[in-house]
Formats: sequence, C-alpha cells, structure tokens
Amino acid sequence: MERITIDPITRLEGHGKIEVFLDKQGEVANAYFQVPELRGFERFCVGRPVEEMPTLTNRICGVCPEAHHIAAAKAADAVYKVDPPRTAKMLRELLYSAFYVTDHTTHFYALGGPDFVVGPDAPAAERNILGVIAKVGMDIGGKVIEARRGNHRVIEIIGGRKIHPAAAVPGGMTSAINEEQRAEIEKIARQSVEFGQFSLDLFDKIVLGNDAFRELVLGDTYYHRTYYIGLLDADKKVNFYDGKVGVMSPDGERIGIYAPAEYRDWIAEHVEPWTYLKFPFLKKVGWKGFTDGVDSGVYCATPLSRLNAADGMATPLAQAAYERFYETLAPKPESGGKRIVHHRLATHWARLIELLYAAERMVELVTDPEITSPDVRAVPTEKPTEGVAIVEAPRGTLTHHYWTDERGVLTKVNLIVGTTNNYAPISMSIKKAAEAFIHKGQVNQGLLNRVEMAFRLYDPCLGCATHSLPGQMPLQVVIRDADGEVVDDLSQHC
Amino acid sequence: MDRPSDRRFVGRALAGCPRTVVVGLGNPVLGDDGVGWCVADAVEEWLRAAAAAGLELPPVAVERLGVGGLRLMEFLTGFDEAIVVDAADFAERPAGEVRARRFEEMERRAVGRLDSVHDVSLAAALELGRRAGAELPATIWVVTVVARMTGVFSEALTPPVEAAVPIAAGEVVRLLGLPRADDWPIPHGPGGG
Repeated sequence: MERITIDPITRLEGHGKIEVFLDKQGEVANAYFQVPELRGFERFCVGRPVEEMPTLTNRICGVCPEAHHIAAAKAADAVYKVDPPRTAKMLRELLYSAFYVTDHTTHFYALGGPDFVVGPDAPAAERNILGVIAKVGMDIGGKVIEARRGNHRVIEIIGGRKIHPAAAVPGGMTSAINEEQRAEIEKIARQSVEFGQFSLDLFDKIVLGNDAFRELVLGDTYYHRTYYIGLLDADKKVNFYDGKVGVMSPDGERIGIYAPAEYRDWIAEHVEPWTYLKFPFLKKVGWKGFTDGVDSGVYCATPLSRLNAADGMATPLAQAAYERFYETLAPKPESGGKRIVHHRLATHWARLIELLYAAERMVELVTDPEITSPDVRAVPTEKPTEGVAIVEAPRGTLTHHYWTDERGVLTKVNLIVGTTNNYAPISMSIKKAAEAFIHKGQVNQGLLNRVEMAFRLYDPCLGCATHSLPGQMPLQVVIRDADGEVVDDLSQHC
Repeated sequence: MDRPSDRRFVGRALAGCPRTVVVGLGNPVLGDDGVGWCVADAVEEWLRAAAAAGLELPPVAVERLGVGGLRLMEFLTGFDEAIVVDAADFAERPAGEVRARRFEEMERRAVGRLDSVHDVSLAAALELGRRAGAELPATIWVVTVVARMTGVFSEALTPPVEAAVPIAAGEVVRLLGLPRADDWPIPHGPGGG
C-alpha cells in the first residue's frame, strides 16, 4: 500500500497532517486527518479563580482570542448566576461582531478565496492574497486592510486592548463607551456593511459567474449529508453571541434545540486509535462511523451549518443574501421541510453572508440608544458553583463549562472548541476528495490542492497547537510503496 | 512566576511618537513559545530602569502579539524600524541560542510565528501592506531564541530558554542603538531575578 503524507497542511493554523493510503492499484484506500493534541490546557486552568478565565482562555489561541474571551465571560456569568445589564451584553456582542468581520474577511481573502480567484491549479506561491490582488486589482487589498484595521480598532475600543481583550468580566464589562467612541464605531460598522456587500458581489462575479467553479461547488465531490448545529436567537435566526443550539437533520428536520447547560445530553465524543483528538457526535443519533446520512451522528458546525440550522438571518441585507443562497443552491425543501445546502464549498459563500450579518448587527447595536449607558456591570453576589456558556466561534460552536468551589476557584474545566466539532466531517471530506482526485497513484500539486480545499473550507484552526517551527511552511507529499519505501517526494513552500 | 503584562510605550519619556517597535511574538501560556513576550518584558524593564536613572532614550514602543502574518504587519505599520522577538525550533541548534538577523536576510523566513498559516506569510503581508500604501519599517530585525518545550500549556520557560531571556533582551537593546554600560543591569525577565 502506498502512503501520501501532506504535512503540515498549508494555510492551517497549527500543525496538522493528512495521510492518504493507496492500494496496489494506486486508488485511495483511506485518508486520515491527524492533529497533535496540545496537552493540558484544562488542567492548567484548575486551581485558578474563575474570574481569570476571560483573560486566560483568550491566550489559548492567537487567532480567535475574542471567541474564548466572550465565551469565558458568559460561562463565568453562569457560574455566579449573574445576568449582565443589557448594555454590557450589547457591548460584548458588538465587540464579537467586529471580530467576526475581521476573521471572515481574513479567511475569504487570504485562505479560501485564492483557490477560486487565482484558481486551484495555480502555483501555491500565487494562491494567496497577493495572487488575488494581482488578478482582481490592488483596490481589493486596500479594502481588506481597511476592513481589518477598522474592526480591530472596534475591538480595541471596547475590549481595552489591541489583542487579548480584557473588558468582559463576570457580570458584564469593566467600562462603557462614550459618544465619541460610539460615533467612531458606527462609522466603521457602516463601512463594514459596504465591504460585506462588496465581498458578496465579488463572490457572485468570480465564483458563481464561472461555470467551472460553479460545477466544482455543485458537484458531488464536496458534498455530504450530515447534521448541522448552530446558535439560534428566540426567532430561530442565526446569532453568534447568545441563544440556544438548533440541531438540524440532513433531511431538513430540526430535531431539537438545546440550552448551553444541556450540551452533554446532545454531544458525546468518539475515540479513534489513530489520533489523540476526539470526534464529537450527536448522542441522540449515535456514532455510526465516518458516514453521511440521517442515521449517522456526525454533525457539522460551520458558517454553512449555522445557516442550515436556522430559519434565516436577523438583519435585512443578510436575510436577502440568505434567500438567494438557498434559491441558488437548494431551491427545493428537504423532506423535513427546510431547505438545506449540503455542498460544502458553499461554506465560503455562507461565510460572506455571515460577514454581512455581523456588520449589519454592529450597526444595530451601536445605534441602540442604550449603547452608551454607564450601566455595564451587575456585581455577582451569588455563591459560585457551575456554569456553561456557548457562543458561535467563526469556526464552530464553542462551549466552555466550568466547575468551581464556593470560593470561585476552578475545580474542573471542559472546553469543546470550534474546529473540534468538525473533526469527523473534515476527515470525511478529505477522504472523499482524495478518492475523487487521486487515481492510479498519480498526484500533482493541483490535485493535492483540491484535496486541501476539502478541509480549508472548514477554516480549521489549531492555533493553540501552533508552535515554533523551523523554516518554511512546507506542503510535503511523501509517497511510499507497500514496504514503506519512499518512491516519490513532492514538496512546495508557500 | 509572573508573566508579561500588556504595558506599552514605556519609552514615551521623551517627546514624540515612537519610530521603533519591539514586538514579542508567541503564546505566553505555552511554555517556551512565550519567550518572545518574556524578552519584551525584559526590554521594557530595561527601558524603564534606564529612563528612571536619567538616561535619555528615544521613544520605543513595546508590543506583544500571538500571531504573525497580516496581524504582525498591521502592528508594524507606522514605524521606521522593528525588532521582532520569536521562539524558533531549530532542532539542530542548542536550546536558548540567541540569534539576530535582518528579516530579508533570513534563509528560512517562516521561523516561529512570523508567518501565520491562518492567513499569509509575513513577507506576503508586508508586500500587501506596501502595495496598499502602508508605512512599514525599512528595517526589520528578527531575534530568535531556540526553544524546546512548546506543546504543553505552562507559564514556565525551560531553564536554558529562561537563561536566554536577558541575552536576547540585551541583543534587542544593542539593536536599538542604546548605550549599554556594564552597570546597566539587563533584567532577567520574569522569574529570572
């Protein structure tokens, strides 16, 4: 059996490895996505005051500190059974929405978009943001920089720091914003709405307007019928900050909605011998292996999942984009009554709809008359015990669960981070793409990039696992024969 | 052991905005990966002590950051010169070894966290920034400290890496062009005494 190794995966935060095993005919026998476990964070937290968690957990990962910061603050609220004032919740959500704009912008223009804008067969050195501006124009580069700059500024204003925000605390926020700051944020929010619309127009022109890409998106290779989860507001619309988790079947039937504290009734973890990372699955459906279908408990938690799990978007422009998304990709409802998009490459489109929603939500929040209220904290008075919180991180549903003693000192911590939810579907997508593109042992960079596209669409982030690496980020492909001898070695540096 | 704080712009003792930035890169709770932050702390301590003693210093901004790529480029915007301190995992080099090189002269630019594999390489990010008209440093120095334990959450550095903190901080001070008299103690970094 031949063995192909892609290690580490290009443009993935952290260190992952894809191994593809070929049979004697050179066809794909199996494919594995392996992630080295980063050891000890939950144990690292035990013994610390729960108040430290919002500033401690945001250092797990340099990519999404805001997600951990907000989730930790909400979990600490739950530990103390304290309900923050409305303005505090709005400020948290405003900060979080700005983070979404920056994060989704980065993914589309620097990670996922280049595959479409520059093309999947382009040399790896060109499949990046520089390739995008070379193809479409420098104006885009400037817009990307401006969108990131502006929204990082929002995070700094509300979060108190350029990185690793510190403003969210149990019971609310440490400080309010004034009118001058509010006006600055409003200006950035309105610019972000324009940028979101611009990005959707670009996707329309570049991807949907290209028959080859349209075929790639709508083809069978990047298609899986799994369950989908996502945080919903009271109207069952997408929400990143708060709500309950909707669970949608591949047949378009919402099989349940659970509150954060009920997550263990819904989510269990499967263990495989070839990886340290566990595979979450839906407990009520059961683990049936790496397989699609209504009988398999494999679920997905991504921008596409959030749209599938919801009844719509809570802001007007995003709702219009949502409707167009389903009219284009899933014009007919599934048997369960809901239209579902199972085409995984459509996740890039869903991500841009979320970007627009986040920007519109920023405008709503920053123009609320109470946003500058000084009432931003309810001081906790209850005895701390246990608390769970869920937010939607850009890469998936993020769950923080803390247990403390009566002094508020942590005795146990459990985190289910965004990418972890998607470990099983990522593995399935990689295998399916490898089966589609690798035949008779023939591989090249373009084909391997199409395999990489199968996981890149999930925007996997193993940022916590990012370590100091020597040298280039190589895409190394090692092909071994049945005896384990290297018969070919392809590598590229990006 | 105390860990780095988020103090900034210590060198603002003199008038004017800083034209030089020191950026400590890494994850401060991931063992040796946090050495860049520790060096940033030590540099800041040195600047503080020197300013308190009446030494005239140019303003220097000291920042800390968890990722490279676009975010690092954004942090470098507006400065004439930058010094980035990062952990490096050169298995063939001894733990704690300190090296300083110009970024463009580095054979392997994606050392440590300079690049973010979540977005783009630092080289690509700088190119993007320059094409977009961003004011970016003409000179970027990279000070690397060879690390060992970067896969386990811990606030402690391994002994050879901890011992390298004052050495790396001294290298940064030298690159800043600041006087370094023998009686100017370079702080040992958090826990270094």
